[in-house]
Amino acid sequence: MNGCILILVALGLSIVFGLMGIINFAHGIFYMLGAYAGWLTVQVTGSFWLALLTAPAAVGLLGILVERGVLQRIYGTKNATFAGVLVTYGLAIMIPDLVRMTFGRPGKPFAVPAALTGSLFRLGEIDVHAYRVFILGVTAVLLPLLWLLLNRTNLGLVIRAGTSDNLMVQLLGINVAQTWTITYALGAALAAFAGVITAPLVAVAPEMGGLVLIECFIVTVVGGMGTFLGVVAGGLLIGEALALTGMLYDVLADVVIYLAMALVLLVRPRGLFGQEGMSEE
Amino acid sequence: MKGLILAALVLATAPLYADYTPFYLGLLTEVLVFGLFALAYDVLLGHAGVLSLGHSAFVGVAAYTTGILLARYQLALEPAILAGAVGGLLTSLLLGVLVLRKRGVYLAMLTLALSQVFYYAVLMWTTVTGGTDGLGNLPILHLSAPLGWRLSKRPITRYYVVATVIFLAMLAIRHVLGSPLGRAMRAVKGNETRAAACGYDTRRIKLAAFAISGFFSGLAGALLTVVLEFVPIENIHWQMSGTVLIMTLFGGTSTLLGPFVGAGMFIWMRDFLSKHLEYWEVFVGGAFVLIVLFLPDGIVGTLTRVLARRPPEPAGAPADQLPEPAGLVGAARPASPDGRLLESRGLRKTFGGLTAVNGVDFQVRMGELRSVIGPNGAGKTTFFNLLTGVLPPSGGRILFKGHDITGLPAHAVSRLGIARSYQVTNIFGDLTVYENVRIAAQSRVTHYRFWGRADALALVNQRAEEILHHLGLAVQRHALARELSHGEQRYLEIGIALATDPDFLLLDEPTAGMSPDETRRTAAFVRRLAGHVTIVVVEHDMEVVMGISDRITVLNYGEVLAEGTPAEIRENADVRRVYLRD
Repeated sequence: MNGCILILVALGLSIVFGLMGIINFAHGIFYMLGAYAGWLTVQVTGSFWLALLTAPAAVGLLGILVERGVLQRIYGTKNATFAGVLVTYGLAIMIPDLVRMTFGRPGKPFAVPAALTGSLFRLGEIDVHAYRVFILGVTAVLLPLLWLLLNRTNLGLVIRAGTSDNLMVQLLGINVAQTWTITYALGAALAAFAGVITAPLVAVAPEMGGLVLIECFIVTVVGGMGTFLGVVAGGLLIGEALALTGMLYDVLADVVIYLAMALVLLVRPRGLFGQEGMSEE
Repeated sequence: MKGLILAALVLATAPLYADYTPFYLGLLTEVLVFGLFALAYDVLLGHAGVLSLGHSAFVGVAAYTTGILLARYQLALEPAILAGAVGGLLTSLLLGVLVLRKRGVYLAMLTLALSQVFYYAVLMWTTVTGGTDGLGNLPILHLSAPLGWRLSKRPITRYYVVATVIFLAMLAIRHVLGSPLGRAMRAVKGNETRAAACGYDTRRIKLAAFAISGFFSGLAGALLTVVLEFVPIENIHWQMSGTVLIMTLFGGTSTLLGPFVGAGMFIWMRDFLSKHLEYWEVFVGGAFVLIVLFLPDGIVGTLTRVLARRPPEPAGAPADQLPEPAGLVGAARPASPDGRLLESRGLRKTFGGLTAVNGVDFQVRMGELRSVIGPNGAGKTTFFNLLTGVLPPSGGRILFKGHDITGLPAHAVSRLGIARSYQVTNIFGDLTVYENVRIAAQSRVTHYRFWGRADALALVNQRAEEILHHLGLAVQRHALARELSHGEQRYLEIGIALATDPDFLLLDEPTAGMSPDETRRTAAFVRRLAGHVTIVVVEHDMEVVMGISDRITVLNYGEVLAEGTPAEIRENADVRRVYLRD
């Protein structure tokens, strides 16, 4: 469950890194803004389902603006990948404060949509909440769709080709700049979607982006950067590790995932599903 | 030197401008400590080219070490501060060993994630660290120090004590950056592949940079504890790494004063903006984005670039003929007993389903000049990469002077006396022409020495001078390598290889892209060089190949098609069919 959300956020991070070589520090911001956009939609229209559409759309647009307005200035410059980390880090500092300015410091409560309240059935001692089953279901539907998008469409082909050899793709006359913009926006929209579906489980707050970002880093390192399967496996593993240790021994929950990462690094530096030599530069 | 005097003057007189008020003096002291932190950070970023987001661990471990030693064990100040710095050093070594398996932004991400382990450790170990409340009640004022001074309550005394320590640290860092190790770090930053080919173990060089950075970050962390008399948990949170990154880039990387200016700017923003504006981080973040986009050299970096005028280069026409390379290469050293210097047996390399080199048996005798030719895609460059340890072979063995060198990394191969030049020019573009050659020559003397001036290594300097003279590049010695013409860069390419004083030299298309005149001169130079060192050259220009080679090996589809003297090769029917296509 935790894992589902991690997978959705980490996928965007991983695709953007694979294609553009940029560790997108602003990725957590998109997740947080998605939750706020969702909250705003619910406030205005009262519909959670509408929020599932408006938040990714709005944040996806913002992603286009960030990519066109900021990131495109640094492509091709010396140390572009470093600069990419730096500017997105700058945005990650700025934007939470902008959100605090607009919506205030305290978090916003976000109710579970009426249709999904209550428990669905009991599994032994544990109530299985309808909303959690919903998250599981949505992820189960979304992941195959994303896989199809990346593996069976033209856009996906260009993204995967660009991931392995960007220059060659450009030489083939393919409009890489546009692909990059679309990819970046797609990652942002995905994070925003995850933000909305997380919102009923936590209070919507400006700080929520920072935390998820580091967890996503760990997911991609454990699973292997730039691989679909790796992110899914890493997300499930880390999500479950978080949930389990959280249940058994609360204090250890945060440490366990870092230790898992250190272990993977020592034993298999490229990650569980990472390919040799790829994305290590 | 001018910078140091300026720094000393500013440090000594700063309290004047602060009107001696305790508040400003406290702020100034804090700026200095953070400036030291940023300077230590820049040792890694600006001088070794490694972006770390894990420095919160170094500064944090040090701050807590010093704090715990003072609070629980009432240790005296100096040993407690020193212990903090050592704590930073050890943490950086631990982190460095783990993360240096990766490079670039991936490495940055790992440092961030790993540094958070330390944060959670502090958070969990509440009994000792105070957890989220931080570590307070440090009896700093009551502790005597072995050297006889006490950290007085007076902010002005405290300021001068801290300023002195920081000035000394600055001197030390400056010294290390000018040492052989410091220069090696710059070479690794500029061109890691070439640095490895010159014999530098680039991972260890970067680990050394981590250690230096960790030690001085630790010193800053320890000082922070003493100055604040308190260790807040924020000191070990990853945002501390972000803060030091911002400070360093505000001021400008690779400068001595930039980090201090950056720290001053950041603390000014924090203290003065937050007084008037609740949401000051918007401005810090915004300013940071703008500086990265529009002032990538930072404030001090941009100022020095604008103010510094480089003296005009004396226009020297390159010599018409490169001089005799006598004395350029040392005395011949023994090969294996049968006179073979290098030998490959059944050497193979596959990339996925593609076999680039397929069972090559190859022998070069001492003093020989061998050419390797073959159509495009015949596996010539891959073969070179196998011989020089850039790629590990999929099968077969390589023997050099009778010793098995199969699978050794590039730097180890270079240290045994094998040097190479590259088909695509591969030099240290951001270093001067002289430093390009000097750093290669230095590799034969020392890699890790972090004391003494690199420029004072007489033997290294002498060798670099000789090489530049022989390649006709002496006039351009102060120019940056990337500013040279293509032909000159090709000469420098060979010069770097020669500077490592090899027994065996591999030249990958030395005349690529040269004018006919330059080609002629280069060919003659390589021929004369052959009297002093064993050479294998990959070349496409058949006139050159036939003119200079003792023997020729023809590769086709990764296999040896023929081998013999130029005359034999010219008459070989297989070669004519496959390669010369007539």
